[in-house]
Amino acid sequence: MSGLPSESSRRRSVQRTVTGYLFLSPAIVFYLIFLIIPVGMSVYISFRKWNMLVPLSSSTFIGLKNYQDLFRDELFLCAVKNTLIWAIGTVFLGMLIALVIALLILNIRWAPFWRFLVFAPVVTPLVAVARIWGSGIYKTSGGMLNSILAMWQLPPQHWLADSRIALFSIMSVAIWASIGSTVIVFTAGLKGIPDEYYQAAKIDGASPWHEFRHVTLPLLRPTILFLSVTGLIGAWQAFDLVFQMGAGGTQSGVSAVKAIILLNVYLYQTAFQNLRMGRATAGAFVLFLIILCFTFVVLRVLREGGVESYE
Amino acid sequence: MKRALTIALCLLVVMVLATGGTQAAKTRLVLQTHWSDFQLEGVVDENGKLVSKGLRQYVEEYMKLKPDVEIELQSVPMEEYLQKILVSRSAGVSPDIYIIRSLWGVQLEDSGIIESPPPALIEDVKKNYVPAAVEGATINGKIMGIPVEVGNYCLVYNKAHLAEKGYKAPPNTWDEMVDMASKLTVRDKTGAITRYGFSFLAGWDSAVVHPFLGLLWDMGGEYLSPDYKKSLLNSPEGIKALEAELELFRTGGTDISGSVWEFPQQKVSMIIMASWYENSLKQGLGADYEKVVGVAPIPKVNKNINAMYTFFATVDSGSRHKKEAWDFLAWFTAEETANKTTRLGDLMVETIGSVPARKTDLENHPKDLQDLYTKTFIDELKNAKHEPNMAQAAEINTILMQEIVEAWHGSKTAKQALDDATKKINAILAEYY
Amino acid sequence: MNRTRNKVSLILNYFLLALIASAMFLPFFWLVSASLQTYEEIISIPLTWLPSSPQWSNYWEVLTSPNVKLGLYFKNSFIVSTVITASVLLTSSMAGYALAKLRFPGRDLFFTFTLSTMMFPTFIFLIPVYYILRRFPFLGGNNFLGQGGSGALSSHAGLILPFVVSAWGIFLMRQFMMTIPDDFVDAARIDGASEFRIFTTIIAPLVKPAFVTLGIFQFIGSWNSFLWPLIVTTSAQHLMTLPVGLRMMVTAYSTTTVQNRLFAATVLGIIPTIVIFLALQRHYVKGITLSGIK
Repeated sequence: MSGLPSESSRRRSVQRTVTGYLFLSPAIVFYLIFLIIPVGMSVYISFRKWNMLVPLSSSTFIGLKNYQDLFRDELFLCAVKNTLIWAIGTVFLGMLIALVIALLILNIRWAPFWRFLVFAPVVTPLVAVARIWGSGIYKTSGGMLNSILAMWQLPPQHWLADSRIALFSIMSVAIWASIGSTVIVFTAGLKGIPDEYYQAAKIDGASPWHEFRHVTLPLLRPTILFLSVTGLIGAWQAFDLVFQMGAGGTQSGVSAVKAIILLNVYLYQTAFQNLRMGRATAGAFVLFLIILCFTFVVLRVLREGGVESYE
Repeated sequence: MKRALTIALCLLVVMVLATGGTQAAKTRLVLQTHWSDFQLEGVVDENGKLVSKGLRQYVEEYMKLKPDVEIELQSVPMEEYLQKILVSRSAGVSPDIYIIRSLWGVQLEDSGIIESPPPALIEDVKKNYVPAAVEGATINGKIMGIPVEVGNYCLVYNKAHLAEKGYKAPPNTWDEMVDMASKLTVRDKTGAITRYGFSFLAGWDSAVVHPFLGLLWDMGGEYLSPDYKKSLLNSPEGIKALEAELELFRTGGTDISGSVWEFPQQKVSMIIMASWYENSLKQGLGADYEKVVGVAPIPKVNKNINAMYTFFATVDSGSRHKKEAWDFLAWFTAEETANKTTRLGDLMVETIGSVPARKTDLENHPKDLQDLYTKTFIDELKNAKHEPNMAQAAEINTILMQEIVEAWHGSKTAKQALDDATKKINAILAEYY
Repeated sequence: MNRTRNKVSLILNYFLLALIASAMFLPFFWLVSASLQTYEEIISIPLTWLPSSPQWSNYWEVLTSPNVKLGLYFKNSFIVSTVITASVLLTSSMAGYALAKLRFPGRDLFFTFTLSTMMFPTFIFLIPVYYILRRFPFLGGNNFLGQGGSGALSSHAGLILPFVVSAWGIFLMRQFMMTIPDDFVDAARIDGASEFRIFTTIIAPLVKPAFVTLGIFQFIGSWNSFLWPLIVTTSAQHLMTLPVGLRMMVTAYSTTTVQNRLFAATVLGIIPTIVIFLALQRHYVKGITLSGIK
């Protein structure tokens, strides 16, 4: 008699577990085939010297040499440095600009039009973006930017060929191309702040800046956390734009020049042009560790102000 | 909602099950090449009439001759070619026939991807091709394919631009060229170059490396030691060679945004260019072609010498139709037609505008090979030296390219750049030799 | 005084808006203009802002050229993006439901795992996944052991399978479903409805905005995806998607005198995603606002 409820509740809990895993089963099968097995294979490859032209089984085991070689490779270290600049620059500068835009267009007439305007580059394939900027805006002779400079009698710049500014030129394009989604997320965040807070601030006679500093910004913290984490994860893996804009426009071989090489481009070239699969895979794990550290640091720093996790 | 989900699910299943692997009854050969556009499809005039045949027309001719063979052409950009071989190989869908750069030969041969031609064809290559091309097709001491195209470099200049500044002849020495380049450069009032006196070829490894090698050899320097164990790039000759290139930047004859591709628009006066550019020039310049284009040997420092490379045709070792593949190549490259030329020779000369490697093709195309553009290239073949076919050649050449570009950009001196290149290249060579 | 300050800030506002508008708009304007110019106009110095007479033939040439299979690229992109989007919606909503509305051991672990997968760089999977697809049983001439053919690599499956589940999608769906009160679900459970029934008849209609958001997001993402199609289509050119096809054109044409065609093709390549976004942007924004990513 007394065993019955617990019996039935146990059966219910077993049933719930089964149902739960049934719902998760597509994802679990997927992760097994396309995540866990590949990561295992990659760990194996990262300890071997393999050119992909011969079967993996006839590659040679070389221990940690791939990892050691990476840190001896000047180009890899450049790629780490550039990607660091890229990630921090595109994410945080992008967020700053996006926040300004979001505030500007928050209560404006024709808001959908403005949203569309800033969002249009986001839906444009990056090949097209690279094309527009590489052979239109940034072209040295007859490009749009240099034409504008010439109107003011300023000397032309080699936007993509000059190793001092090339990385920043491409970063600007990356910000241009991705700012729309950041603006929309910020808009959502701003709309989520209850009006009462602003009214209370008004009654206290707060200046707009004060209001922004003490009401808007603290309440946007979760949005900022979300954007920082997802943005950084993406930015560390940037590939398309640098791969396609290179240091002169069209040829990917050039994107290897030290000034603009990013980690993913380095990995791509190490694997598919230099045929060093082991080293490239080892580099991918180093990249993973970097992303992991960054995510933890960002979560740490931004959570200190009492930001909740995604519950 | 449920219905939508069901439809989505069905769609998914159908898509996943749909496979493209239908079996063809014919012998299907896939030919992979770096040629593209008119090189494959032929040159067509304004009225849509075929003026000269592309590879596709020859292949169609063969398929008519041998109805049981079907040949598919795949065009791959140069810079993705090696990757394509690799990826296709891993996917188990390798092409049957490759037209590849000799530079990749060592890697492909070491990994057993390509095979030697049948003995009859080897004999044919040894007997009928120019020695430099035979050298190019020789990998690790064995002939690994049929030379298809040899390429070397000359100075291509804009006759009108030179005449405009009072020059009657192209530069003969490097110093003359540096001097002329700065005088030919036209700038607007902001200092922007609107017309380049000189532009370097850039964009992929060989584009940068070949002209440099020419200068290096001219100075009496060497790329690698004879046993391929060491790079000799940072020798005094090597540094002088790179300094000679940098002189063009210092004196304002060019800058880092210069592009040879603007020569047809007459925005560049002088370029060091390869033989395959002829048809692009003709198309780009149209009626002005004869008036504008001049070709001369590369201006020398000590002696005339230029770098040379080879493309050869070969067959994948895993092909299921090796015999048919070699049969096609024999018909295409070795069987002579009525004019005592080969079909490949005709394609090279008439459409691609490049230099064939077979002696009879060189002799029996007087009209095309003695023309304005190609004649100098053929004359300069006697001064051409073949680039080394070493292991990891793509990686090594990319390193050299990167270091040269660093020097162009002024972020390294010539010596620093070549010291760094030597160090990195030696580390790679040590793995293989 | 207050009024002048307001005026100044208003002017500043409009100045900033004008700046943003031109920065966002000019590049597109240039592209469309370039696609209608002659080659001489494209390379002219100074820049040509407007073509003297629009060259509509650029578009015609692109659409009819035998070398450029724009139609094929469109078709491939469409098939791949649609199927990926449909399956991501399905798998994400299923997993999201389990994570948000069911209690069972291992649930939170799975959620943490899903979130952490976002941190793995694509490059870790690239080569192994390529091999796994080749050895996929029953596809592309393979037997049940995955031998004999080229597996999933010779069909659209090779472009689709590695993307049918999205950690981001699961996260989004879970966040959204968390906002639905448990009472709805509990009431149905007491009525004896099965979990699958609750999922399809109660939850699914309620999360429509999330479906739209995720759907657009995923479709555009797949449409524009580049690295994986670049690798897969190097061995299967008949599968080339639009971004890869456009890049092939860039490499083939950027050194020639028909660059204007390239710009025309680029314009054509941008249109589908812009249209989709235009049509659905209201839902998209609403979805983001509602989904609790804030």
